[in-house]
Amino acid sequence: MSPLDDLGTFLVHAVVLEDEAASRYDELADTMEVHHNDEVAALFRQMAAYSRLHLNEATAHAAEHAGGLPDLKPWEFDWPGTESPESGQAESSHYLMTPHHALRLALAAEESAHAFYAGIASHARCEQVRKLAAEFSAEEAEHAEALKEWLTRYPKPSRAWDEDLDPPAAGD
Amino acid sequence: MNSEPQLQIQALAHKDYKSAYKPVWCAGCGDFGVLNALTKALAAMELPPEQVALIAGIGCSSRLPAYTRAYGFHGVHGRALPVATGLAVSRPELAVIATGGDGDGFSIGGNHFLHACRRNVNLTYLVMDNAVYGMTKGQASPTTEADWTGSKLAPQGTHQQPFQPLEMALAAGAPFIARAFSNAPNELAHIITEAIQFPGFAFVQVLSPCITFRPEQMHWKKRVHEGFVPTADRREAFMALMDDDGFSTGIVYRAPRECYRPDTAKAVTLAEIAAGFEVVS
Repeated sequence: MSPLDDLGTFLVHAVVLEDEAASRYDELADTMEVHHNDEVAALFRQMAAYSRLHLNEATAHAAEHAGGLPDLKPWEFDWPGTESPESGQAESSHYLMTPHHALRLALAAEESAHAFYAGIASHARCEQVRKLAAEFSAEEAEHAEALKEWLTRYPKPSRAWDEDLDPPAAGD
Repeated sequence: MNSEPQLQIQALAHKDYKSAYKPVWCAGCGDFGVLNALTKALAAMELPPEQVALIAGIGCSSRLPAYTRAYGFHGVHGRALPVATGLAVSRPELAVIATGGDGDGFSIGGNHFLHACRRNVNLTYLVMDNAVYGMTKGQASPTTEADWTGSKLAPQGTHQQPFQPLEMALAAGAPFIARAFSNAPNELAHIITEAIQFPGFAFVQVLSPCITFRPEQMHWKKRVHEGFVPTADRREAFMALMDDDGFSTGIVYRAPRECYRPDTAKAVTLAEIAAGFEVVS
């Protein structure tokens, strides 16, 4: 039996997944602001705001849960990877990244969250968990589709997108 | 009144440990993961920020104290451990954590590292190891591979064997030795928690990629693996390190022993200290 078969444990995962996604987007937005990439910073800030809307939804579900929620330490979560699935690949960010790259990063995060919920929806033994996971999975799939549509407005940039004739961190 | 749903769970509280300063690290730097892991560890232990002191030297990773709400001291290059040692013995009620990089800790502060291991004062030392001097723009550091040719200062490589931090710590007498990875912040938070709770000198080498000067380190994610099984047997720990490929993670050695504590029973006044320096003609 997976720990995620328990409704309370599942809800804590859902809340933390959205919270960490929002935090990661804010972290990326802060980094882009520091490096004067304001366009991408604004995009990441917008993503953080969307994640907080979803966080509120998950929190509302959790608040309705009569049994209370388990107090899990960060390392006790049952994530498929080393971080919560919607946290994104922060290491693939770049100070000159374009909206195309930012949307790609966000799309990968949404698809990862979708796969996480879809897996639970198809395997969980608890019916309530399956139902909620299917609902969240469908939402993540919608977000992914919206991002794909958004990406059509930001095609892949030229190969020289990261060229900087006066880089802030040039080698010795 | 706030109409948003309110839910208090411990896992959300780690943000409360961060300061309002935005890190100036490069986008994608591994040190972001260390900051997240450290704040998660402090939240998991429910340690109030005013009971934590972060001490650093110089370097990209040594900026970390400024990005938290705990007490911080950004000192001289390579001297995080002497400052942390003084603070830990004079204010034992604080959780003292020294942070820095491989150059700061193993080169400029290398001698302090050895003696901190042997002295065993109750503090935690987190070294963010990226095998390069990042702040000064990409020179080889003590942990750089002998054949790395990425620096114009050593275009044929350094031809020097890299420093082995875990082996050195074990040989010098450190009672808690671990390695973790910045891209696995939850596991890193666990190891940091164990290190802070350990009664003595706890050393954690954190593999923290420098994506600017060592972009190939992005592939560390594929190479890092769980490997160490904690032991209190020094011989077993050495054997584990002999078999180590440099990417094993976990606690390799944990063997509590008596901490160094100066005798504070005899209180001395400032006047008495001053009297000792009086010149008698």
